[in-house]
Amino acid sequence: MNSEHIIKGYDEELGRLNDTIDQMGRLAGSQLSSAIDAVVNRDGDLAAQVVAADPAVDQLERDLDSLALRLLALQQPMARDLREVFVAIKVGSDLERMSDYAVNVAKRAIALNQVPSVEPTLALPRMAQLAQSMISDIRDAWIERDAEKALAVWRRDEELDAMYSSFFRELLTYMMEDPRTIGSCTHLLFIAKNIERIGDHATNIAENLYFLVHGTPLGQPRPKGDSSNLAVVPPGRSEVVP
Amino acid sequence: MNSEHVAARTALTSGINYGDSVPAGAPNVASVSILPAPVKIVIRNVHFFYRSFEALKDINLPLYDKRVTAFMGPSGCGKSTLLRILNRMYDLYPGQRATGEALLDGQNILAPGLDMNLLRARIGMVFQKPTPFPMSIHDNITFGMRLYEKLPRSELDGRVESALRRAALWDEVKDKLKTSGLGLSGGQQQRLCIARAIAVQPQVLLLDEPCSALDPISTQRIEELIAELKSDYCIAIVTHNLQQAARSSDYTAFMYMGELIEIGDTATIFTNPKVKQTEDYITGRFG
Repeated sequence: MNSEHIIKGYDEELGRLNDTIDQMGRLAGSQLSSAIDAVVNRDGDLAAQVVAADPAVDQLERDLDSLALRLLALQQPMARDLREVFVAIKVGSDLERMSDYAVNVAKRAIALNQVPSVEPTLALPRMAQLAQSMISDIRDAWIERDAEKALAVWRRDEELDAMYSSFFRELLTYMMEDPRTIGSCTHLLFIAKNIERIGDHATNIAENLYFLVHGTPLGQPRPKGDSSNLAVVPPGRSEVVP
Repeated sequence: MNSEHVAARTALTSGINYGDSVPAGAPNVASVSILPAPVKIVIRNVHFFYRSFEALKDINLPLYDKRVTAFMGPSGCGKSTLLRILNRMYDLYPGQRATGEALLDGQNILAPGLDMNLLRARIGMVFQKPTPFPMSIHDNITFGMRLYEKLPRSELDGRVESALRRAALWDEVKDKLKTSGLGLSGGQQQRLCIARAIAVQPQVLLLDEPCSALDPISTQRIEELIAELKSDYCIAIVTHNLQQAARSSDYTAFMYMGELIEIGDTATIFTNPKVKQTEDYITGRFG
C-alpha cells in the first residue's frame, strides 16, 4: 500500500498529530524517571521541576485534541486513517494520565522529604524501571506501528502488578512492625500505586495500537497480577493474608 | 484478480439463491445496523462489452431488497455500466452486449425476448443530470403511467400526489402542477425525476450519481428521501462521493477497471475493508 496520501497536506496533519504524541510520550517517561529520583534521593528541587511541567503536558493534550478534531472535520478520514485519529485521541488521554501520576509521585516526594527516610523506599526504583521499560517499548511499538511489540508490553503489565502486590504486603508488614513509619509508608503505597497505574495506561496504549494495526480489538482479558485487593491483616494476627 | 479479491467477493456472494436472506457466514454483513433482507437481484457471471472492449469482467453480487447498495470506484471502473445493464439501456445502442445473468425475483432480465418497457417500469432509473420532460409537472408524472395503465383521471391525480409526496416535493409544487417541470430548481427537478420513476410503482430504483449536479442542501434532501424510499424498494446508487456512499447506503461495492474488488456492509467497508486496494481508494492513497 502506498503510505502517502495523494493530498500532501493530509500527511502533514497526521505527522503533526504523531509529533504531539511523541512529545507527550517522551515527557511521561522522563517525568516518571525524575520523580522516582526525587523520592530516592530526597531531591525537593527535582520534584518541584516535575510538578511544574504538568501544565505543559495538559496543553499538549489539548493541542492533540484540536488537531484530531480538525483532521476529522476537514479530511473525513476513513478506515485505517480514521483509526489513527481515533486511537491518537485515546493515547493522548492515556499519556496525559501517565504524566499526572508521575507528578503525583513527585508531590509525595516533597512530603516524604519532611520525615526520615524508610527502608521500603529502596524497592521503588525496580518497580519504576519496569514501568519505564513499558513506556519506552510502547513508544517504539507506536513509532513502528508494531502490534507484536505492543503485545509484549501488554503482557508485561502482569509482572508490574505482581511487583505492586508484593510491595503492598511488604509495606503492611513494615507498618505493623513499626507504626511510626505509617505516615511515610502510606505515601510510598500511593507512589507504588501511581507507578502501577502508569503501567496500566501503557497497557491501554498497547491495546489501542493493536486495534489501530489490525482493525479489530484485542479481545482478550488482561492477565491480572495484582492481588493486593484481597490482602488483609485479620484481627489478632500479625501477618498479611493471603 | 488475486486471491484476496476472490476471497472477499466469494465470501459474500457464494451460495446465493433467489429467495435466500443474507447467507450465514457472509463477512461484513452481520453488523448491528443491518437486519437480514431478501435478495432482489442476483448478478451472476456478468460480462459487458462495448464492441470489443470488456467493460465488466465476471461480476457476481447480490442486491438486497429494501436496502441501498452503493457502487464506488474511479472513473471508468464500470459502475454506471453495471447499473445500465439492469434496465437494459444498452439495448438502445448497437455494439453493446452483456453475457451472464441478472435474476430479478428469479427471472433473468438479460435474456432475449423480454418486454423492455415492462422491465423499465419495474426498474426505474434516475440520472446525474435531472431530465424532466418538457411538459407540466403533472404530465411528467403521468407520462409513464399512461403508457402502462388505463386509469381514470381521479386515480391518475391521486397517483401524482402520492408520487410527489413520496418524493418530498408535493408541498412545493401542489399549487403549480400545470407549470412546466423545467421551471423548477435543480434539486426540485431531480426530486421530480424520482417522483416520475416511483409513480409507475417499480420494485427497483437505480440512481446514477443523482446528486452530483446538486448543492449540498438539495443533496441532503435527496439522501433523506432515499432513506425513506428504501423501505419500499431495492435501491442501487452510483456515487463519486465517498461520504455520500458512507452516509446513505447499507452495502458498498468497490469496483476497479471492470472488476468487483470488494463488497460488504458499508460500516465495515469504511472502517476496516478487507482488500488493500479498497482501503487505498477510500483513504485517498490511490495512484
